[in-house]
Parts: sequence; structure tokens; C-alpha cells
Amino acid sequence: MTGVGYTVPVVAAVIAVLAMEFGLLHTGLFRRPAYWVSMLIILGFQVLVDGWLTKLSAPIVIYSSTATSGWRFPFDIPVEDFGFGWAMVTAVLLLWERQRRHGRGKDAP
Amino acid sequence: MNMDRWQYLIVLAACLAITAPLEGFGDGVYRQPQRTATAVLPVAAVFVLWDVTAIAAHVWTYNSRYLTGTRLPGALPIEELLFFVVIPLCGLLTYGAVDALLEKVRS
Repeated sequence: MTGVGYTVPVVAAVIAVLAMEFGLLHTGLFRRPAYWVSMLIILGFQVLVDGWLTKLSAPIVIYSSTATSGWRFPFDIPVEDFGFGWAMVTAVLLLWERQRRHGRGKDAP
Repeated sequence: MNMDRWQYLIVLAACLAITAPLEGFGDGVYRQPQRTATAVLPVAAVFVLWDVTAIAAHVWTYNSRYLTGTRLPGALPIEELLFFVVIPLCGLLTYGAVDALLEKVRS
């Protein structure tokens, strides 16, 4: 069945990361403008790096045609990769934010 | 000389090189090794498991032409393990720099 191998786990990973923040950590990461600005920048670079890794003319990573939805955009990037990347980077940022020291001297108003 | 097999490694090295100057903004990432390891390693462990499972289930494979050839248990290319450290480092460096710059603008 198309998509079971990659599409379904990606959706599960995105849900798991959202549950991590809203059910467990409550870091407030998603309320920080720095997060959204960073994700835009990271998305731009993901297109370049992932585009290189997945280009069909000379791929470094080769996906089973039955494991993905088959949607590739932009370039030849399987759209699932954007969920994969978002989940990975956001999970790391959540664990990073959880360790934020409050009341740092130089951050005090 | 055939450079193809270094390609994935070179991509990762380029990511580290491009983001390295961001360390200079804010409190840094490399200067907080404990905090960085606590954020990166648990997520890397989960994604390595996912990767090894996907390799075993033939969800994706790697083009050996562009790999050094060093494989870890589970047929995980060494480059792929590094990916789960390098890309999060780049993400943290980006976030740290953006956060520091926005703080500066506001204050």
C-alpha cells in the first residue's frame, strides 16, 4: 500500500512532537517568533541540502516508490521529508528550550 | 581520482562550515556542550532507530556510489548517523542566532 512505509510514520512523528510540547514539556517554543523565523531559514536550507540528496538524476538517498505518497516538491524532494525534518529539528529545539535558564543576567531587562 | 564517495560527507561538512559563524551570536551551541548533547542525542537515538527500521523494511536505500562505505550495525551508513547530529546542530545554531538578534532588536 502506497505511503505506509514513510508517509504514515512521518504523520505519527509530527503528532508525537506536538504531543511532546502540548502534553509534556510546555516550553512555549511555538509562541517564540525566533522559532518561526528560524524554521523559515531552516526550510530554505533544507530545500538545498535535501534537494541535493534526493535528486533523481544522481540520488544519494533512494526511496521505495511504494513507501511514499509519490509527491515530490520542490525539485525531487519527497514531501514526507519536510515532516521528517520538522519533527527532528523541532524535537531538538524543544529539548533545548526545556533547559533554558531563567533570569540570566544578560537577558534581564 | 574518484571523489564521488565523499559526496554525502562533503554535504554535511559544508552544513557545519556554513553555520559555524552563527556560534558567535548569543550564548552559542558549541560553548554549551552539555545542553547541546541533552537536546541532540535523545532525538538522534530515536531517528537512528527509525532509519535502521526503514532500511530493514526497504523504505529507502543509499546509493553506495556517494558513500565512504563505512556501515554501522543495521546497515546504517556512517554519514547517516552524522546527519542526525549535524543537521540538529545547524538548527540549534540558526535558532540561537535568530533568538539573540531578536532579543537585541527588542532591547
